Amino acid sequence: MSASAYNYMQNKYSAILSYTGTILIITSMLFITPLFLLMFYPFESGQSAGFVLPMAGLAGLGFILRTITRKRAPVVLNVQEGSIIVLLSWIVVCIFSALPLMINCQLNFTQAIFESVSGWTTTGLSVVDVTKVSHLVLFWRSIMQFAGGAGLVIIMLSAIAGPPGPGLSLAEGRTDLLVPHVQQSAKLVMIIYVSMIFIGTLLYILAGMSAFDAINHSIAALSTGGFSTRVESIGYWNSPAIELITIILMIIGNINFLTIYLLINRNFKAFIRNGEIRLSALLILVSFIILLFFVTIPLYDTLSSSLRVAIFEGVSALTTTGYTITTYSNWNTTGYFVLIILMLIGGGTCSTAGGLKQYRVYLMYKLLRTEFKRALLPRSAVITPFIWQGDRKEYINDNYIRQLISFVFLFICVYAVGVLILSFYGYRLEDAMFEFASSLSDVGLSAGITKSDAPAVVLWTETIGMFLGRLEIFVIFTSSVKLFKDLFLKI
Amino acid sequence: MLYIIVIGCGRLGSYLANSLSRTGHSIVIIDKNQNTSRLLNSEFSGFFIEGDATEFSVLKQARIDKSDVVVATTQDDNLNLMVAQIAKQIYQVKRVVARVFDPNREIIYRDFGIETICPTIISGEVFLDAISVPPAAMGGK
Repeated sequence: MSASAYNYMQNKYSAILSYTGTILIITSMLFITPLFLLMFYPFESGQSAGFVLPMAGLAGLGFILRTITRKRAPVVLNVQEGSIIVLLSWIVVCIFSALPLMINCQLNFTQAIFESVSGWTTTGLSVVDVTKVSHLVLFWRSIMQFAGGAGLVIIMLSAIAGPPGPGLSLAEGRTDLLVPHVQQSAKLVMIIYVSMIFIGTLLYILAGMSAFDAINHSIAALSTGGFSTRVESIGYWNSPAIELITIILMIIGNINFLTIYLLINRNFKAFIRNGEIRLSALLILVSFIILLFFVTIPLYDTLSSSLRVAIFEGVSALTTTGYTITTYSNWNTTGYFVLIILMLIGGGTCSTAGGLKQYRVYLMYKLLRTEFKRALLPRSAVITPFIWQGDRKEYINDNYIRQLISFVFLFICVYAVGVLILSFYGYRLEDAMFEFASSLSDVGLSAGITKSDAPAVVLWTETIGMFLGRLEIFVIFTSSVKLFKDLFLKI
Repeated sequence: MLYIIVIGCGRLGSYLANSLSRTGHSIVIIDKNQNTSRLLNSEFSGFFIEGDATEFSVLKQARIDKSDVVVATTQDDNLNLMVAQIAKQIYQVKRVVARVFDPNREIIYRDFGIETICPTIISGEVFLDAISVPPAAMGGK
């Protein structure tokens, strides 16, 4: 490699490491938040070391990265460099976030990483026995979902340190700006997110939850995470009011921040026109009807519990939250199939949800309709399909279609490989498909495969599935290849 | 923080948008051609709108009523004039700056109360400096 090319690479990677360092320092602050609970639960103070030590490690690592890269020329990052930053910081943060769990609740490395990735990716699959762990650990799980859901690291970075380029947000799966500047957008997103959590907490308390349960469930519902403080999840309360609140919070969490912003600005026309809103309304309705007539009415004694289960489980799967009020062991395969499809479709783009994203499904539907139209119109007719993004009309060009096809293909491949690996361990096909759809779309519903004594390979497969599902799968693949090439082939 | 609308995403428009976005202003840039958005680099975090800036719907979409500054930078003097006029007269935008290539048209712009920047005169003066003949020695104009 020539000297100038070497210099260029050095400069570029200095910038990447320096930004990663900043992100690590910001994230390390999150580790203090569970300690505020010591005011209410002073008897748990023995566990504080489990949070302070990883925080010191993470912050230290961040400072070291920033110090060794101090003498660098200012570099504007492109998408690829942005995604390398996101990939590196997510890996480091997930590892450090596992440490409090290893220290404070005796999980082994595999289980702790699983739990921490499940938290950060807002999945909600859990191997922790929630009856035995402290309030601090329970709250730490919620904090991970809070931060992971908003893509908080990036949002805070752009709000505090200024725009490092749109590459970062693209890799974390949020590209839509609310207002035409990244810093103001980031602040708005934070304000919307935190105030919704506050309102959710109040509603839960009014409906009869304890304050601690209320705040944890409000965070986990709005981030579409789904960690619960109870083994039976929302089913513990057996209360229609709490279920209704949860359904509303889950639906809000699954809506794109941009669309919520339209709603706040009372731009109802643009809200109704949004393809994702229409699609999710349709999906919720259809899945509710199918689940009701073919699954829950034959299964449960009373009509009211059939209704409640049918609407709740459908919304939970589609919004990729993963709260549940029942178990699936006695469900028929129709129920499994509906939930798997809903999980794979997943939530809205740039929301806190995972999956294929409703936007892509809606785009595919639009393209199908266009093709039908083309067949019926004269050959020379010009058709330009478009979709509404906020109050902007966006025309679908070939670029969109190429990206869409590559993404869907990659998604299906990863899904197939994951299901295959799970099936090696002797699970029934519907269980394996259910569990890996739940991992890859960051949902958190479980057919019973995810347990603390599950084989390590199974847990790691799900961990990787969750990770790929949360960060934009395509960006992660390309940036890992780029990183590998830069590190091993060129130097 | 100003809300700035830039008309035309050419070499000049994109340069302005990138620099202004970096310094923290809210930028909306409008161009007829989607392809020109590739001139925006990653410092730009504003909106790009594909459309004809002489259409009210496009200007409304850009929230021209809320803007503090409108800059018209397209290649077309007439179009710049028209958009600048709309911004000034109809939407009462506080500050409107337009690019005009033809020095003879500057007077018309001034009558409408629109600030102009004429690249022809600017580069002409720089050229004259470069060949070190003071403008006065050229005999007027």
